[in-house]
Amino acid sequence: MSPIDRRMLYHVNWPLVGILGALFFIGVLNLYSASGVRLGEGVSVEPYYQKQVIWGTIGLFGMMAFMTFDYRRLSSVAWPLYAVTLLLLLAVPFLGKTIYGARRWLDFGLFSFQPSELAKFAVLLLGARILSAEPERLDLKRLSYILGLGLVPTLMIIKQPDLGTGMLVLLLLGGLVLYRGIRPWLFRTLCVLLPLVTPLAWFGLKDYQKRRILAFLDPATDPLGSGYHILQSEIAVGSGRIFGKGFLAGTQSQLRFLPEKHTDFAVAVLGEEWGFFGMMILLSLFCAFLYQIAMVARDAKDPFGSYLAAGVFFYFFWQVLINMGMVMGLMPVVGVPLPFISYGGSATLVNFSLLGLVLNVSMRRYLFKQT
Amino acid sequence: MKSLHNAYGQEPPRLGVSLLQCLIFGLFCLFAVRLWYLQIHLGPVFTEKSRNNQLRTEYLFAPRGFLRDRNGELLAVNEPAFVLGLVREDCDDIPATLSKVSEWTGIPAERLKDVYTRNKPKVKPFEPLILVPDLDFPLIAKVEGASVRWPGLDILSRTRRKYIYGHLLSHVLGFVAEANESEMQADPSLSLGDFVGKQGLENRLDDRLRGAKGRRLIEVDVTGRRLSEELQRQPRAGEEIFLSLDLSLQQLGHRVLEGKAGAVVVLDPDTGEIHALVSEPSYDSNAFTAGLSSAQWAELRDNPMHPLQNRATQGVYPPGSVFKLLMAAAALHEGMVDPKETVQCTGELALGNHVFHCWKRGGHGTVNFQRALVESCDTYFYKLGLKLGVDRISSYAKLAGLGDLTGIDLPHEKPGLVPTREWKMKRYGVRWTKGEDLNLAIGQGYTGLTPLQVARLVAALINGGKVLKPQLIRGMQPEVQGTLPLTPDQAAVLKRAMIATVEDPRGTCRRVLTPGVVVGAKTGSAQVVRLTDELKRMGDSVPYKYRDHAWMAGFGERDGRRFVVVAMVEHGMHGASGAGPVVKAMLDALFLGKRELPPRDVDGAERPAETAKRLTLDAVEPKFPDLPQELEGAQ
Repeated sequence: MSPIDRRMLYHVNWPLVGILGALFFIGVLNLYSASGVRLGEGVSVEPYYQKQVIWGTIGLFGMMAFMTFDYRRLSSVAWPLYAVTLLLLLAVPFLGKTIYGARRWLDFGLFSFQPSELAKFAVLLLGARILSAEPERLDLKRLSYILGLGLVPTLMIIKQPDLGTGMLVLLLLGGLVLYRGIRPWLFRTLCVLLPLVTPLAWFGLKDYQKRRILAFLDPATDPLGSGYHILQSEIAVGSGRIFGKGFLAGTQSQLRFLPEKHTDFAVAVLGEEWGFFGMMILLSLFCAFLYQIAMVARDAKDPFGSYLAAGVFFYFFWQVLINMGMVMGLMPVVGVPLPFISYGGSATLVNFSLLGLVLNVSMRRYLFKQT
Repeated sequence: MKSLHNAYGQEPPRLGVSLLQCLIFGLFCLFAVRLWYLQIHLGPVFTEKSRNNQLRTEYLFAPRGFLRDRNGELLAVNEPAFVLGLVREDCDDIPATLSKVSEWTGIPAERLKDVYTRNKPKVKPFEPLILVPDLDFPLIAKVEGASVRWPGLDILSRTRRKYIYGHLLSHVLGFVAEANESEMQADPSLSLGDFVGKQGLENRLDDRLRGAKGRRLIEVDVTGRRLSEELQRQPRAGEEIFLSLDLSLQQLGHRVLEGKAGAVVVLDPDTGEIHALVSEPSYDSNAFTAGLSSAQWAELRDNPMHPLQNRATQGVYPPGSVFKLLMAAAALHEGMVDPKETVQCTGELALGNHVFHCWKRGGHGTVNFQRALVESCDTYFYKLGLKLGVDRISSYAKLAGLGDLTGIDLPHEKPGLVPTREWKMKRYGVRWTKGEDLNLAIGQGYTGLTPLQVARLVAALINGGKVLKPQLIRGMQPEVQGTLPLTPDQAAVLKRAMIATVEDPRGTCRRVLTPGVVVGAKTGSAQVVRLTDELKRMGDSVPYKYRDHAWMAGFGERDGRRFVVVAMVEHGMHGASGAGPVVKAMLDALFLGKRELPPRDVDGAERPAETAKRLTLDAVEPKFPDLPQELEGAQ
């Protein structure tokens, strides 16, 4: 088959592309303000927004690259990719370089690379492949098998340590499992068991992670320590009130009371400067974005495509939920960025590429099987 | 659609798609509600918090008002002082920093730690906590040199109150010291390290002297860097106040009382202005501003001579014969006494089965009103006491303001005591006896007065009965608090008797005779204990603590200027010899110009060449303008 069919171009899901454009635009605009710092007179802006535009452009190519081939081919790469990911993750503790106290990067000379980013994609692919072939709702055996497959890379990532990404991988797979559906009795049992077992995970957490959770439960205990992030973020969002303090006028961000303001807490800058009004626009855009992806999953030509789209749905859904929840003080501080709003090179590339995958599924929905 | 999927054998799970839709709906609702809650419901709260983050209020100290004497001599000024503060937020190792400071200053590490923990909760974030209140220059150099290695340490410049004549005026000026917790609670404008007046005029005039702090709003970023500042309120300097005191008289009073315990009051009987208020021994006001060590404090507190007590306003002493002035006034006004009438003094008076003695064993013989005062005949006044009775005596005493606060602008004034029938019943549950009338008449027994009250009494006797509030501030409107009823004739009789006490060859106050000046006076020797025969035999070698208190209360008059001078010397034995020289020295200084300015305790403040305010202020002084020595000489 020819890589790109004119008919397919016609069927590109333009609404989804439009929403993506809007989100990315808001993200870059907000990043301009979020990377500004006031020192004396005027605001000096660090050039994160420029880099983000460059990464967006690269992401656009990634997106197009992911649209060129028939997604069904990916089914056959699922297992090998999973194996490679595990190998790379295994290599990280020995060969990786340490940044910010965590060993997450593999240095390839020209660029460094996070195997954990690849893990998200590998698990998504493998989950879609296995689950799309499940004839029945999952019983305990199949569930354990699939979750077991996910747990291996998850634990390796958490050990790096990178709790955020590790959780994201597992949640992604969990979402896919729920999308497939599990046996009602099993579902009910899990509903009872999970809340009982989860607290046990407390003992596996590192001290700083425990502190973050405690600080989340009661930020006032240590307003200058672990609770600081949550408190300052809530102050930023809350002080935006209805229409915000205005572009480049957020005191929490410009005077650097807000930590990590161009990465994890970038949306707090938006909340401060554009207020409830701006936040509701952003929230609506994210919901429309997720809805479009859900529709792609519903309308996909074949189960594999549907599960791929659902996987991407969960990939974005969890990040939006965790990041915005954290910024609004509904969740403990976990290093999960907000897609298109937080600054991040490889994350932008991955986001665009995964969306390319969804567009790929979407535009091939009317094609009959080719032999 | 369905058919399409059917062609491939499997549909996308319908429940799964519904799940996705539910998740989106849930996400939207959750965040919409949370955003409403944070931004609209709690918006004002968070706006306030973000302002608190961004804006800091800085207070600008207002210089405390200077104090000057009536001639413009500076008494209390401010001078720069340096303190060592610690900004906790900038300091990364507080225990190490504290021990370093201890090493530099020699202050025990324990004490610094104590200062730190005690003050920690009171200091706002990014505000310095004062560790060492007084840095000398070598220490400043040391701290400055090491400031890079010890972030958070900060040398702050403050002003410190200085009393130029620390010992001379401590009982009047009092002192300032750092505000304590309850003072800060009572006055929200005070913050840690602020000085407030604790004693004396510094305390009473604190509101006027302190001025008002300025306020500056500073915009800061997270590191505390200042981005902009806005002056919201200029500091308003404290008021400069001219006291009614005359520094040279004050100095003289201290010198003549040196080594004794006593008090001198010089009062203008027409305005109530106090020209000297001396209490010996005294203390150094400056010791308190730098922070008193507990050893220094214990020494002052436990000193048997009680240097902290202001004897002029807080010392309550039996007035002895000085009280006879009030008796005389009461008797004259009641018509109980005819100045020509005589009484026979045999040296004793029997009442019931008790014999009351006159101080002069052999008796005074035939005594009239004036002679009774001149020679201080007890017998005469015993009889007067019997005639008047406690009720009338105490009501006249009350009219003269005795047993009441004078209202002088000094804290902790004592009211003294003039006994009444009711008071004794209430206090002891026993009825007043006739014998006590006699004791009361000669100023013994329960009666206790402060030197200031006696001065006010004498002023009322010669100014036509006006009981004035003693003023410590120059140029105040005289404040009449009461009237001692006395017709001009009666007043003249009494005054003549007082003058005779000085001028008569037999007068008890001959010692204060001053050429060219009309002087009237009355002595008093107040018994401290009932003298036993044994003590009496010892004569002048009675142990110090059993000796009588010596009083002399008098006035001097020349060229329309007149002053009341009262001196009280604790255990000074005899009024004339114990207190007389003090009164004499004051009169000489007041009327003969024998005065000099004292040496200063503190350098720094320049003596003013001329005081501009002075002449205008003097214009409002009534009748007897007290011209400064230089001007008088020039005329």
